[in-house]
Amino acid sequence: MKPMTKLLASVSGATFAVLAASPALADGTTAGSSITNNVTVAYQVGGVSQTDVTASDTFVVDRKINLTVAEDGNATTSVVPNEQDAYTTFLVTNVSNDIIDIRLSASQLAGGAATHGGTDTINVSNVQIYVDTDASGDFDVAFDTLVTFLDEMAADETRRVFIVGDIGAGATNGDVAGVTLTGTAREGNNGTTGAEGAAITATTGGDTAAEDTVFADSDGVYDGIASDDDDYTVAAASLTALKSSTVVSANYPIVGATDYYAIPGATVEYCIAVTNAAGGADATNVAISDPLPANTTFVGSSIVIGGTATIDDNGTPGNPADDVLTGCDNSTGVAGGSFGAGTVSATIGTVSAGTTEIITFRATID
Amino acid sequence: MKFLISLFALLAPAAALANQVELSSEVFVERNVEQADGTVTVTHTEPSQVVPGDSLVFVLTYRNSSAEPVANFTATNPMPDAVAYRDTDSPGAEFSVDGGTVFGLLADLIVTEEDGTERPARADDVTHIRWTLAEPIAGNGSGQLTFRGVVR
Repeated sequence: MKPMTKLLASVSGATFAVLAASPALADGTTAGSSITNNVTVAYQVGGVSQTDVTASDTFVVDRKINLTVAEDGNATTSVVPNEQDAYTTFLVTNVSNDIIDIRLSASQLAGGAATHGGTDTINVSNVQIYVDTDASGDFDVAFDTLVTFLDEMAADETRRVFIVGDIGAGATNGDVAGVTLTGTAREGNNGTTGAEGAAITATTGGDTAAEDTVFADSDGVYDGIASDDDDYTVAAASLTALKSSTVVSANYPIVGATDYYAIPGATVEYCIAVTNAAGGADATNVAISDPLPANTTFVGSSIVIGGTATIDDNGTPGNPADDVLTGCDNSTGVAGGSFGAGTVSATIGTVSAGTTEIITFRATID
Repeated sequence: MKFLISLFALLAPAAALANQVELSSEVFVERNVEQADGTVTVTHTEPSQVVPGDSLVFVLTYRNSSAEPVANFTATNPMPDAVAYRDTDSPGAEFSVDGGTVFGLLADLIVTEEDGTERPARADDVTHIRWTLAEPIAGNGSGQLTFRGVVR
């Protein structure tokens, strides 16, 4: 008897269960939806099963406003002086359980520590905010969209946003420009895109049984505003040039002499050494033009590009002002360059940061 | 067969009786509130303000309103879709992770993923919670069953 009754009870329970089963929700429960809890009790009195008793309780899920703004990646954006459309990248996410708009604004650090360890020294100009419309991850003015707000962000949706600006031509190596992207939650329009929605007001003065609005910012400041910092760091090339001359032969050496003198008819080898300071950017397309001194005559096809220089830093490495070029070895160089209108021209190409490249050429003393 | 018939014969008059068990289901929001002195107290409030991530306490209160003992008391509570089960303080709970077909201890239940692989069931998987009271409820006796969940 008893087992049979139990069986009946569990069968009716199972029927109910199948009706109530549903897949788990992927997102946070949508604002305004009701949560109803049902309970069913089966029991016996005097060994006789009684009618099931049920009870339920319902409440409404409120609107939780939360958004995050986070730098995409964790490194400074390396830029060069005069770079246009230099960009930093952020990810803006709607962590609310409702559709919202997010107003965007970009601001610049005014001195102080930048987020990646440097000290803010410069500002970028022409600051604009773009959304990564083509989802490429890289800013491209042809495909991305200039925005002031993100329209109709669905719950849990993330969009990539760029702060785009220009670097001044006067920026020097190591300059840092800190920028901040701030997002402010605004009312959405049920998914219909259009103008930016109104400001969101949290429910105050006592909760209601209906859908309330609650700021639940992850940053602990309950205002529906989130921000993050990023920065640009200028990597400039710092080129210095040194020049030396060495008498390499005379057309009538004094019999028995082993030294050469800078006398008319003697040949002089000029060496120009171009150094790019360490810690900066590589300098590319480096070209040399050197007017031939008066009273000298260029020796045809004597330009050699490449080789090694010996530089005496006078005990102060890092200070190029007192450096002296003491020797040049062009044995590994190749012939090149040109001479015209009294000027020697040669293209070195790339001078990497922390390296020195040389060119040499010869002239005779008139 | 005879056995079954006699069973239904007994069921029929029972349905005519008024309910002897009174039941109520309540939900509270459980929050840890830091006091001015730094201590943290747990508060339970009416669910007028609820957002995803909030902890909920479900309280089922039952009372035997008759003088007769109530036996084989079984309370079955499907989890609301938007609530993930967390734990219960009431002993004797059994769980289902398949919509109420199979009940057992959570540690004994297996979930079959869509790709066919099986894994132990987790609290998140619970679809139903059920208590079967081993002892009858005495006349005019009452009790509570509670469990916790979190708003998905």
